[in-house]
Amino acid sequence: MTAPLASLSPLPPLSPRDRARGCLLGLAAGDALGAPAENLTPEAIAARWGVLDEIEGGGTDDTEYSLFAASLLLRHGHALTSQDVVEAWRTEIVARADGPMRGAGFSELGTVQALRRGLRPPLTGRWHPHGWSDGLAMRAAPYGIFAAGDPDEAARLAEVDGRVSHSGEGVLGGRAVAAAVAVAMTGAEPGEVIEAGLRAIPADSWTARAVGKAIEIADAGRETTSREEFARGLHDAVVVKHYPWTDLAPEAVALAFSAYLRGGGEVEAAVVTAANLGRDADTTAAIAGALAGAGTGEAGVPARWARRIGAVTGRCLPVVAGRHVLDAADRLVDRLTDRLAERTSDRPADRLVEGM
Amino acid sequence: MSSGGGGGTPPQEDRVLGAFIGLAIGDAAGWPAARHRSLRLAPWSRRLHRELDAFAEERQVTTLPVPFALNQPVEPLALGPSDDAEWLAWTAATIHDDRAEAFGRLAERDDLRARISVWSALDNLAAGLGPPASGHDNPHFFDDAAAVRAVAFGAAGMDPVADAQVTNSGDGVLGAVAVATAVGALVRGAPMREAVDAAVGALPEDTAIGHAARTAVAVAREHGDPFAAVPALDAALLDHVYSYGVAAAETVPIALALADVAMSPGEPPEESLGEPAGGAAGKAGASALGAGGAFGAAVSAAACLASVADSAPALTGALAGACAGHAALPEGWRTAARTLTGCCLPELAGADLLAVARALVAGHGTGSTRDSTGISIQMATQMATQMATRRGTA
Repeated sequence: MTAPLASLSPLPPLSPRDRARGCLLGLAAGDALGAPAENLTPEAIAARWGVLDEIEGGGTDDTEYSLFAASLLLRHGHALTSQDVVEAWRTEIVARADGPMRGAGFSELGTVQALRRGLRPPLTGRWHPHGWSDGLAMRAAPYGIFAAGDPDEAARLAEVDGRVSHSGEGVLGGRAVAAAVAVAMTGAEPGEVIEAGLRAIPADSWTARAVGKAIEIADAGRETTSREEFARGLHDAVVVKHYPWTDLAPEAVALAFSAYLRGGGEVEAAVVTAANLGRDADTTAAIAGALAGAGTGEAGVPARWARRIGAVTGRCLPVVAGRHVLDAADRLVDRLTDRLAERTSDRPADRLVEGM
Repeated sequence: MSSGGGGGTPPQEDRVLGAFIGLAIGDAAGWPAARHRSLRLAPWSRRLHRELDAFAEERQVTTLPVPFALNQPVEPLALGPSDDAEWLAWTAATIHDDRAEAFGRLAERDDLRARISVWSALDNLAAGLGPPASGHDNPHFFDDAAAVRAVAFGAAGMDPVADAQVTNSGDGVLGAVAVATAVGALVRGAPMREAVDAAVGALPEDTAIGHAARTAVAVAREHGDPFAAVPALDAALLDHVYSYGVAAAETVPIALALADVAMSPGEPPEESLGEPAGGAAGKAGASALGAGGAFGAAVSAAACLASVADSAPALTGALAGACAGHAALPEGWRTAARTLTGCCLPELAGADLLAVARALVAGHGTGSTRDSTGISIQMATQMATQMATRRGTA
C-alpha cells in the first residue's frame, strides 16, 4: 500500500475515486457491449455488426457478481475471510436459488450444490469440476480497486473469495485480474499492468502460458495486423479446440489482456477489441474495460456508453438488484480513504492522499 | 457357471484377463455403448439421429430415439465394447513406449475418437507442449481417461503416473493412481476390501476425488449391496450440474464403492439402520451369487447411474473382474465383450482384447521386461485380429 499512486504516470494525476469509477463503469460497459457477442466467432460478429461498438442491452453476471464482490469488501474490508464469503453465498445466493438460476454459470451452480452439501472451502471450489472457470476473474476488479497500488493484497483478497467457488486456474485468473487492476489504479502503462497480473501467478501455469502467448500476439501486430488477423492469431494460440464452452479462465484472461494491450489502454479500443473477439465476450470485454477504465478514469469511458449503464436489474443475482457500479466505486473508495486517513495520520506525507 | 478359459491359466494371469474383459463388459453394458459404436456407421445416420431428437422435442413425444442402422450393417449396434476397451487395448499394446511419444504418434492422426482430455492433450503435444503441461493446460484434466488406461498399468504392476500426466492432472491423475493401485493389488491376489482401502488411501482427503471416494465407500457399505446403494450414491455424489459424465471424481469412487460392496464378504449391517431386510438380503445375495454373480451385480448397479453410465460400469467391471478372475465371468458376456469394434481407434476393429491382455502378461511375466520393447500396436492388432478370425471360423 505504500506505492506512490499517480506519481508513476507522467499525466496529471487522477484521483482514486475517478479511477475506481472508470474501472467499474468500464467493466459494466464491456459486459453490456460484449453480451450479444458471447459464444459467437469473430467472423459471425463481423457478419452481423461489422464492428460491434454500440451497447444494445443491459449487463449480465460480470457486473452483478462484481457488485457482490464489492459488497463483501464493504462489509469486511481487508479482514475478509473465506468463511465470510461462504456466509454471503449461503444467505444471499443459495437461499434465493430455488427458482431458475438465470445467468449462473457452471461454477456458480456447482458451488451452490457444494454449499448445500455442507462442504467448506477450499473443497467447495474443488467439488465441482469448473474450478478453472472465468467466474472469479469476471468479478475480481473490486479487489484491485480496494487494494490500489498493492497487487499482492489485491490478489490475496481475490483468492480469499475465489477459493469458495474456484480452484486451480480459476483462482489464478482472479488473482491476475485483481493484481492488474490494482496497478492500473496507479496510472501505470498497460505493459506494466499486465506484467503485474503475471507476477501474481506462477510462471508454470496455464494462465501464465496463455497470457504470454497473448502478449506476444498483441505486441507483434499492434501497428500492422488487421483486426481479423489479430483475432485469428489469438484464437489459434489460446482457444481450446476440443472443448465446447467458452468459460475457461486461462483463455478469457488471455483474450482480455491482449485486447487491453492492443487497445493501448484506451477504454473504447480495448473493450471493442475484446467484444469483437467473441468467445466469452461479455467477460473478456468487462475485464478489458475494468483495466482500461482504471487507467483513464471515468472520463475515458465513452459518454454514449456511460449513459446506457444504469442500476443493475438482478437478472443473474437478485440480491444486487437496484445497485449501480458508480455507487459501489464511490463506497469502495470511501473505505479506502478512511483507511488511508487512519494510516497516514502517522505519516502525513503519504502521496496517496494528494490525489483524492 | 463358466466353461473353460480358466482351466490351465495361472491365477494371476486369469485375474489380469478378468480386469481387461471385466472392463470391456462394463463398457458394453448400459446405453452409452451403442452410441459410441454407432460411430462405425455412416455420419448421416447420426445426423438423422440428431434430427429425431429434435423431432421428439418439437412434437413432445417420449419415444426417445436409440442408435439405428439404415441401409447399413447392424453389427456395430450389437452388444459389445466401445471406447474404454479400445483405449485400454491401445495402452496395453504401447505400455513400454515413452508415453509422450506414444501419444505424439496419435497427435498426427485425424481418424480418432477420444475424450476431451485426450484431444486437448494431443493438441498440446502437436503445439510443442509436453507432459505434464499437456495434461494440465487441459479443460478436462479431471476426467477418467487416464483412470481407464491405468487398468493396464495396474495389471502390469507399473506406475500409471507418467501416462496419466500426458492427458490429465489433479483428480484425473489421482483417479489413475487409485485404479492402478486397486487393480495391482487385486491381480496379486489381495481381497477386494484391502485393494479398495489401499486405493482410497492413495487419494488426499482435501481433493474432490478423495472426499467422494470416502463418501461413496461409506454409503455403499451402509447399504450392503450394490443395487441397493444406487439411489444413495446418486444423491451423495452426483450434482447433475455438468453433463459429460466421465469426471474421475465421480466414476472412480463409484467403481471402488460398488466393487467393494459386491465382492467383499459383508459385515452384518447395523441393526439400528432400520433396513434389516434389504441389508440381510444384500449380504446373502452377494455370497450366494458367487464371484460371477457379484461381478454382475456391481456392473449392473454402475450402469443404473445414468449420468456416469458411460465409464463407471467399465471401471467397476475392471475392479470386479480382476477380483473374480476371467474364468468366473459369465460366458455370454465374455464372448460379447472380447472383440473390439474400432469405434475410437479404427485399426482395432476386430481385435481380440483377450489376446492383447495375454500379450501384456507375456511381456510382463517373461522376466526380460528390463530391455523389453513391448509389442507394437500393429503387432498386437495383427495378432488379435488373427485370433478373432480363427475364433470366428471355428
